[in-house]
Amino acid sequence: MSPRTPGPTRRSVRILIPAIGVPVAVALAVIVPMQANAAVDLPDKTVEQLLQFARSSDVSALSGTIEQRSELGLPDLSGLTGAGGAMGGSSSGGGTGGTDAAASAGLDELLALATGSYDARVYLDGEHARLQVLDRMAERNVYLSPTEAWYVDSETQAATHLTLPEGTDVEQLKADAQAEAQRLADEAKAEAEARLPDGQSLPTPQEVLDQALARLDETTAVSVGTDGRVAGREAYELVLEPRTSDTLVGEIRVAIDGENGAALAASITARGASDPAYSIGYSEVSFQAPDASVFAFEPADGMTVTEQVAPISTADEIAQWKADAQAKADAAEGATVPDVPQPIVHGEGWTTVVELDAQAAMAALGEQAAAEGDSTGSGEGSGSGDAAASAEQAAEASAMLETLTQPVDGGRVLQTSLLTVLFTDDGRVFAGSVPVATLLDVATAGS
Amino acid sequence: MLGALALIPILIAIAIRVSGGASAGRGPAFLDQITGNGLFVGMTALVVATPLFLPLTIGVVAGDSIAGEASLGTLRYLLVAPAGRIRLLVVKYVVAAVFCAAAALTVVVVGSLIGWALFPIGPVTTLSGGQLTVGEGLLRFLAIGAYVTVSMLGLSAIGLFLSTMTTVPVGAMAATAIIAVAAQIAGALPQLEWLHPWLFTDRWLDFADLLRSPPLWDSFGANALLQFAYIVVFGALAALRFTTKDVLS
Repeated sequence: MSPRTPGPTRRSVRILIPAIGVPVAVALAVIVPMQANAAVDLPDKTVEQLLQFARSSDVSALSGTIEQRSELGLPDLSGLTGAGGAMGGSSSGGGTGGTDAAASAGLDELLALATGSYDARVYLDGEHARLQVLDRMAERNVYLSPTEAWYVDSETQAATHLTLPEGTDVEQLKADAQAEAQRLADEAKAEAEARLPDGQSLPTPQEVLDQALARLDETTAVSVGTDGRVAGREAYELVLEPRTSDTLVGEIRVAIDGENGAALAASITARGASDPAYSIGYSEVSFQAPDASVFAFEPADGMTVTEQVAPISTADEIAQWKADAQAKADAAEGATVPDVPQPIVHGEGWTTVVELDAQAAMAALGEQAAAEGDSTGSGEGSGSGDAAASAEQAAEASAMLETLTQPVDGGRVLQTSLLTVLFTDDGRVFAGSVPVATLLDVATAGS
Repeated sequence: MLGALALIPILIAIAIRVSGGASAGRGPAFLDQITGNGLFVGMTALVVATPLFLPLTIGVVAGDSIAGEASLGTLRYLLVAPAGRIRLLVVKYVVAAVFCAAAALTVVVVGSLIGWALFPIGPVTTLSGGQLTVGEGLLRFLAIGAYVTVSMLGLSAIGLFLSTMTTVPVGAMAATAIIAVAAQIAGALPQLEWLHPWLFTDRWLDFADLLRSPPLWDSFGANALLQFAYIVVFGALAALRFTTKDVLS
């Protein structure tokens, strides 16, 4: 019945199409990404040479795409921080304590940026920087320039503008900072030279590096891994492995560009895990200075703009602070109770555990913040509003803590794949990259 | 069907006009922008239409292409002409592709027009927070229309293949629409993450990349490659099926 009988030509055509089409499609999909992983052989470098190479890198301009992936084993924080952000957004329209809420929202956002998984574009030239986080149908942006900074969220249509205090002379500030750094370096050098026996000069940078490596070597096995390809560029790999097995960290890998020494990727793998718990790296990068227009930002009409002034201080103020701090330290030597309890450090190397008396610290910090708020008077929010806001924040924080932590003997514990935090019932906080048992041991030994 | 698609932006615009604007961060993307700039009606309509309504209409057109002729009994007569089955298939596919473009353009153009009629229009705010002139903004919207058109080409090829499998056009239409929805459900499950890059729906909603400043064309290229792979595979399957099929009606 068929109007055409399948002859030899027709058969060849109908076999030809899938015979060519399907392999071509598969090849496109499979071989293209595979090519990126073709073997790379860079000239061999020792660990020292590689570190020196990376140190001498002077990349100041680039544009690229960063992928950050983190699987810290935390319960999904996005809901919590998202809720906080939304609350901050809504209450900032409300009026009272507006700056406070906006600031905390910003903090949430920054926390989400630091711990979340996202793709972002990065642009750098000598002076400006921009981080463009590519969310689906939305975008978060951080614009940095020498005189101002913007944080823009397209979803809430909100922008936070951080500026230097009026009348700040940027050049002066830079010069001050440089002079201060130079002075400190000179001081340190003089001090070091004074300590050295006569006739001996300061160690060269090479010797310093050697010493640092030797010290690092006591706790960590540092090696150069196999050369690979990151973002289409040939890269060295530096592998750091803790020598002790009492830490949660399995290994840290850093990819270093084979041409200019810039760090291209880094990942941290938990002990016993096969995939990194945290990784960040370029999926595409170019070391050309990006077009200046990418750094330009003008908030659109209808965007909520929050103005904030950065607490940048002049050299005089820094000197004043230092004097204050010195005076305080002198006073504290006599007194028994310091203003803010210093964190206590147990152990060393990878198994370091940091202990903080949270209740005392919070109380002291609160007092300090109150005192500073009074003296600087930067916030226009009323005192009662602030108090209410802080109470609300505290309640929110404790609820968050409840959901995140699990009860253990003598407290609650927050367990992630790389970090363990123990909140004891008597108000101390222990944190370290160690198993829970170690933290409990330290806690019982300490009390 | 283009009329039905045109209804989407019209409904959105009228609803917003009557009930007032949405607050930032709620509802579909760009919804909150409409009261400030009517040009965003087209964008909001695309966000709403891309997951379901567009695939439905594409499914109808592509699913009907061969099976429709077969069920009407006209396929035989088409094949009597000395044009060849492959050529008929190609023509049918081109018709479906033209419909994809017409559908996406309808939504964007009608949306822009109704937004222009009901709301003030002005500079277009990009996702990065900056603003584009109206002309530039409209160009970006047209580029987004092109993106959505490309996005639908893979689904059209699937529809065409399914259409060669049956003589019941409704079956092919429904199967095409179901595949589009199923692929999106699979794309929403984090447990199937390994599968996501292979789904033709994976980059459907990435068209907003063109509304960034600077616009990001990577996703356009990646999407085009993905859709091309689907066109090749399902086009080849359709050709294999259609050239070996006994056409009885």
